[in-house]
Amino acid sequence: MRVTKGARLTAGAALLALALAACGNSASSGGGTASGDLPVRMELGEPQKLFHPGDTTESEGAEVLAAVFAPLVGYDENKQAVDEVAESIESKDNRVWTVSLKPGYTWHDGAKLTAQNYVDAWNYAANQDNAQSANGFFSRIDGWADLNPGEGKTVSTKEMKGLKVVDESTFRVTLSKPFSQFKTMLGYTAFYPLPKVAFGADGRITEEYARKPIGQGYFQFDKPFNKGTDQSIDLTRYDRFPGKKPKFTKLQFKLYTSSETAFNDLAAGNLDIHDSLPPSAIARAKSEFGERYLDQADAGVAYIGFPMQYNKTYANVKVREAISMAIDRETIADKVFSGTRAPADDFINPLLDGYRAGACAVCVYDPLKAGEQYTANNGPKTLELGYNSDGPHKEWIEAVANSLRANLGVEVKVKPFEKFAGILDELDEKTYGGMFRMGWAIDYPSAENYLTPLFSTIAIKTGSNYAGWSNQEFDALLAKGDSARTQEEGLKFYQQADDILIREMPYIPVYFYRTNGAFSQNVKGVKIDLLNQIKWTEVEKAG
Amino acid sequence: MSRYILRRLIQAIPVLLGATLLIYAIVFALPGDPIAALAGEKRMDPDIVDVLREQYHLNDPFLVQYWHYIVGLLGGDFGTTFAGVGVGDIMAGKFQVTINLAVTALVMEAVIGVGLGLYAALRHGGAGDSLILAATLVLISVPVLVTGFVLQLLLGVRLKQAGIDLFPVAGVSEGWRGYLLPGFVLAGTSIAYLTRLTRNSLVEIMRTDYIRTAVAKGLPRSRVVGRHALRNALIPLITYLGADLGALMGGAVITETIFNLPGIGQQLFSSVYLREQPVVVGIVTVLVLIYILANLVVDLLYAVLDPRIRYE
Repeated sequence: MRVTKGARLTAGAALLALALAACGNSASSGGGTASGDLPVRMELGEPQKLFHPGDTTESEGAEVLAAVFAPLVGYDENKQAVDEVAESIESKDNRVWTVSLKPGYTWHDGAKLTAQNYVDAWNYAANQDNAQSANGFFSRIDGWADLNPGEGKTVSTKEMKGLKVVDESTFRVTLSKPFSQFKTMLGYTAFYPLPKVAFGADGRITEEYARKPIGQGYFQFDKPFNKGTDQSIDLTRYDRFPGKKPKFTKLQFKLYTSSETAFNDLAAGNLDIHDSLPPSAIARAKSEFGERYLDQADAGVAYIGFPMQYNKTYANVKVREAISMAIDRETIADKVFSGTRAPADDFINPLLDGYRAGACAVCVYDPLKAGEQYTANNGPKTLELGYNSDGPHKEWIEAVANSLRANLGVEVKVKPFEKFAGILDELDEKTYGGMFRMGWAIDYPSAENYLTPLFSTIAIKTGSNYAGWSNQEFDALLAKGDSARTQEEGLKFYQQADDILIREMPYIPVYFYRTNGAFSQNVKGVKIDLLNQIKWTEVEKAG
Repeated sequence: MSRYILRRLIQAIPVLLGATLLIYAIVFALPGDPIAALAGEKRMDPDIVDVLREQYHLNDPFLVQYWHYIVGLLGGDFGTTFAGVGVGDIMAGKFQVTINLAVTALVMEAVIGVGLGLYAALRHGGAGDSLILAATLVLISVPVLVTGFVLQLLLGVRLKQAGIDLFPVAGVSEGWRGYLLPGFVLAGTSIAYLTRLTRNSLVEIMRTDYIRTAVAKGLPRSRVVGRHALRNALIPLITYLGADLGALMGGAVITETIFNLPGIGQQLFSSVYLREQPVVVGIVTVLVLIYILANLVVDLLYAVLDPRIRYE
């Protein structure tokens, strides 16, 4: 092939055009913010799915929805549920709850918020045909079983009989059994309402809605979110919001795949708030941000779990206690996590009512006693410890293994799994019989949330009771707590249930999480609430 | 010529089909349940899992699943992810970022690599030559992870704190400037290889008889180097660049993550992790197509550079 000058010129021009097109494209896909009204820029990980309350059970999506929706209840300084959108939430017997709404709330498209919106949303989320991940949160409502007849069976109704609209701003919720913590539960993402426009002709939530959810909160979406392409979610204040509004008008969530990168962006002044600093950034954040570095308690707990249901190796509680006492929690919290964790001493997190400092006596590091007790009770000569390698777990699991080797004189095999689901699969199939790491973040701030989903007998099937541990006395105390007349009375029973956990040690609590963040000089008043969300009403632009 | 191109393109069809089947089978064979992976560390209600499995044909045997996929593909439908987003949409967005990054890197490789190589070859044995050789050795031996973080901290953070805003730390929202640093980091090793490749092949060519003849004829040096030597030296370079394009597009996971660029590499990584067959197969198919086209272009360029090569 001979090439003439003309052909070469076109080839060159085509290449140049390609390069220019590439540049042009990148410039136009930018966030595009007006210079006059700079947004407050908040760090966010990639949301797992598009947005609708019933299917958003992960933290990143929930963070966005919390800015766009207003919850029925919020939580005050004393960790108590206080009415927000709700005017009142009342019950005489903890079984039939009447919820009435404050007047004045509207959807971002101008429509009025009604009681029917709540009933629609909850019925939708509770229906197994819609495969919503928050489905289980509605299981306490009377009629939930009708919407969840089981695998392969058809759902004959679209409504739970326990949900009734009384009038435009009131609805009644009947539970199948009394539950004293019901009001506290209502602050969770799953309990947000949905407007009529969310549903398509087929009765399902439309993709259009899930890309640009219309809420009734203080921020609204500027434009539909293109998942996988967009690197920011831009929100503007909704000025018809009747409650307390944020003091700034624009909020931008910037999506990052690496929290280290986000921290560098914060340091360079391209980001305002980062609330999940990696341990590697802590030292730098402390020295560079000073007053603007955040370090506060978080409601999460990390455990080492035992496969109680079928592996008899761990059946002796004295052996489990010895393992617990052999773990040097202080060192793990201070050295492995650079102080971003706190040693655990109860099954209930210190952030919540019901926590008792030092409740778990065998959570205190006592290598001598641990060794003696382990030998005296013929503890197994080899132990196995599993963890998922897709999270920041390797270092602390290795540290636990080292503690056990040194203090119990045993062989410890550390087994990495690709992800947590792999551990669960092998536990289900009984092909893995070792100890495993486990973590828990709360869905709603109640001591009960550390107990029922993790250790109750029914949670073996539907919840997160991966140990398969079952104790009738424990279940009975939970039931008493659920049906108690007041929160305080309920708490007493929950604490008694907690005592059983401490006595039996189906899991070993290892550390409590902490939240570590930092913010730029552009903002002030950054506070993080119980559910790990920024209180946008407190944040102000500085200067 | 056009018949040659046509033949090459027709040959590509079975390759593409084979690639989809192979990748589909590999992702299928990976252990772990995609629906369980979706639930993170909480266990999903078994009834919900069942509905989802049904929805995504996960209960069908392998060949039936593959058949569903291919039928959809022929109708222009790349399928949907488990999060309910169209794979076609995802790929369109990600490929745009990746192409920008790959083109930036490729241009840097070509300009810096060939430029340095040319300089080193012409100053063969001099101080500049030695310096360039040493510098490329360093560039080859330092992993991308290190260059990425160090350059980001020095040029992205520290320089900005000093008041010079040249290189953004992260993201496509900064426009084309956001691609400069990651483009360089991604191109790093290739720049080093290209420099050495250019230098060595030029040094060799400059010693050949026809160059000596050209010099003896009294041609100006620029013409001897530019037209006679460099043109011949370009053949191995183009082979290298063509092969590198694929690596730049599919293998930029680390660079994309450090600089927060939502590209193909990252997507591929997370989709393999989540067992999202449609995404993995879709991306790999397009990557295979790009490889095939890049190879074809390289082959055609041989003919342009060396008149002795003809395709009939």
